[in-house]
Amino acid sequence: MNLYRFTFVAMACECELQLWGEGSAVYAAADAAIADVRRIEAKYSRYRADSVTSVINRAAGHAPVAIDAETAALLDYAGVCHALSEGAFDITSGVLRRAWDFKRTPPRLPDAAEIAEHLTLVNWRAVERTEHTVFLRTRGMEIDFGGIGKEYAADRAATCCIERGVHHGLVNLGGDVRLVGPQPGDAPWAIGIRHPRGEGALATIELRAGALATSGDYERYFEIDGVRYCHLLDARTGMAVSAWQSVSVVASVCTIAGSCATIAMLQGDGAPAFLAAQGVDYVAIDRDGRMSGTLAATART
Amino acid sequence: MAATEDTGAAQPDLPRRAASSGALFAAALALPGVVAAQAAPDEGVIALKYLDYRDWQPGAERMTVRSPALYVRKPVSESLVVEGSLVYDSMSGASPLNHNTLSGASGTGITEYRTAGDVKVTKYFGNQAVGVGAAVSSERDYLSRAASVDVRFFSEDRNRTWAFGIAGADDRIDSVNGVAQGETRHTLEFLVGITQVLSAGDIVQTNLTYSTGHGYYSDPYKLLDTRPDRRHTLAWLTRYNHHFPQLDATLKVAYRYLHDSFGTDAHTVELAWVQPLPRGITLTPSLRYTTQSAADFYFDPPFPRGFERGAFYTADTRLSAFGAFTPGAKVGYDIGGGWSADLKVEFYRQRSSWHLGGSGSPGLEPFSARWVQLGIAKTF
Repeated sequence: MNLYRFTFVAMACECELQLWGEGSAVYAAADAAIADVRRIEAKYSRYRADSVTSVINRAAGHAPVAIDAETAALLDYAGVCHALSEGAFDITSGVLRRAWDFKRTPPRLPDAAEIAEHLTLVNWRAVERTEHTVFLRTRGMEIDFGGIGKEYAADRAATCCIERGVHHGLVNLGGDVRLVGPQPGDAPWAIGIRHPRGEGALATIELRAGALATSGDYERYFEIDGVRYCHLLDARTGMAVSAWQSVSVVASVCTIAGSCATIAMLQGDGAPAFLAAQGVDYVAIDRDGRMSGTLAATART
Repeated sequence: MAATEDTGAAQPDLPRRAASSGALFAAALALPGVVAAQAAPDEGVIALKYLDYRDWQPGAERMTVRSPALYVRKPVSESLVVEGSLVYDSMSGASPLNHNTLSGASGTGITEYRTAGDVKVTKYFGNQAVGVGAAVSSERDYLSRAASVDVRFFSEDRNRTWAFGIAGADDRIDSVNGVAQGETRHTLEFLVGITQVLSAGDIVQTNLTYSTGHGYYSDPYKLLDTRPDRRHTLAWLTRYNHHFPQLDATLKVAYRYLHDSFGTDAHTVELAWVQPLPRGITLTPSLRYTTQSAADFYFDPPFPRGFERGAFYTADTRLSAFGAFTPGAKVGYDIGGGWSADLKVEFYRQRSSWHLGGSGSPGLEPFSARWVQLGIAKTF
């Protein structure tokens, strides 16, 4: 068996597959996996006018939109995330980006009035569902699968590989990792957790199966007067969260690992209790750079 | 609606949260394709193969070999893999004819048996792997024992692998005709190789193997065969695979240059095309061409032209100058449930006139052989 590495760009980030196997089986698995990642990107990207997301958003306040089983399952999943996070995680919160402009220089904090105005459109309960349709009740509402899509694509990519006979490998979509299987001989993969403030890895987790996803305050942010405001906004308040620099979660599938990491970031001090209730292992780095979590003791630094 | 909540007041809510922890998992499982339909099996393999080999020259059938073989590979713990094989050959017939004037056939057509086994243990550490192996091959007139160690280094980005190996073998020859009694041969071999992934569909590998040995190299069954007691060889093998995504096929190209201190320098080119077909079938046609120069001490017929008493001498066809083609095809079938089967057929034709440049050793009959191998394997 040889190790093959495929790198590609999708969902606006660097992606890679590392797969052990023999020539044609590995190539076939990689082709299928990458094709499915691109399919999901095209289907749910809010930057594409013909995507399912854009169709649903354009119909907000007008009429229900027919959806397929995959979209329905993703919306169901988003609903569970909303409930478990007690409203902090809400896929209708994308409209807040109009108030929080992370590309603006110099950076500017939105004022309370702006946030309140956009918050009127953040309301998961206004997303009306039947088994085959979805209707955003208020004009101007938007849904955005950005918080779940990448992790879901990572799981599907891994499944593509397993179903094509590749049993040792990993999928990494912009830092969201799902294992296809351990390294040969049941050896673990060493997955580094990015240092939230520095270069390289802060800690290394050894994993034979499952997934590792990280949510951090360093992906998109600005700093004003020494205070960092990141892109993770509590949907209930419209405010950026700041209790943690990053949370990395290990779970059986990447979709769960990613949601738990993001919701933990949004839960602030309630993160450890939330993660304990979900029964997942994690490493959390608080605002002062201290590492904690069920994996903190065994993570190699 | 935008109610702030004191997330610190977790205590009374904990039972409710604990009860809903399964909700996330259930919702994730409902997403299509998040979990593979089948659990991945443990990567152990057991395979049984049966080889039928036959060779012949015009007007004479010479050797047949029937060889069942068993191969097993199993991860025995985290990062440790053990593999081993057992082979039992039955060989009957005569060994290759010398050129006509010496027609010294080796045996009287009785059947000889050979038993061979090997074991290899490989341990994986992060970016390295170390393998240790041992092998034994035993037949009535020949016993060989070998051991090897190989180390592989994987680059951080996994696109490059360095391989280093060292192996040693001890052979003992006691020919049935008493010509060789208690003769021995010792060989030491070194390998260095590099494998490089060039792109998503291209991978290249090049290996250099140097082998040095001393001891008994002559063929005791030839009426006159005296070879040097030292031999070294240098082999340079380069392999390149290219995947064609539109055809879902892979082209495999290989070139090997062999320099042998005996003088039998050889060039070998091999092409194969791996084509997956519907219903789990894979077809792999292949073609190999070898051109070899004659050993320094090879003498053309008729004996004893040019021969000086006490010099090295061989009339063995295998050390003559020739060219050879080996067309073949393999059909693999993925039965399902971890079972697979394969059938491989190869034909070998060796002719002096096919030597590159046309100047092969004169006076030799063409030599032909064919292999048919049936195999079945199961992962477990």
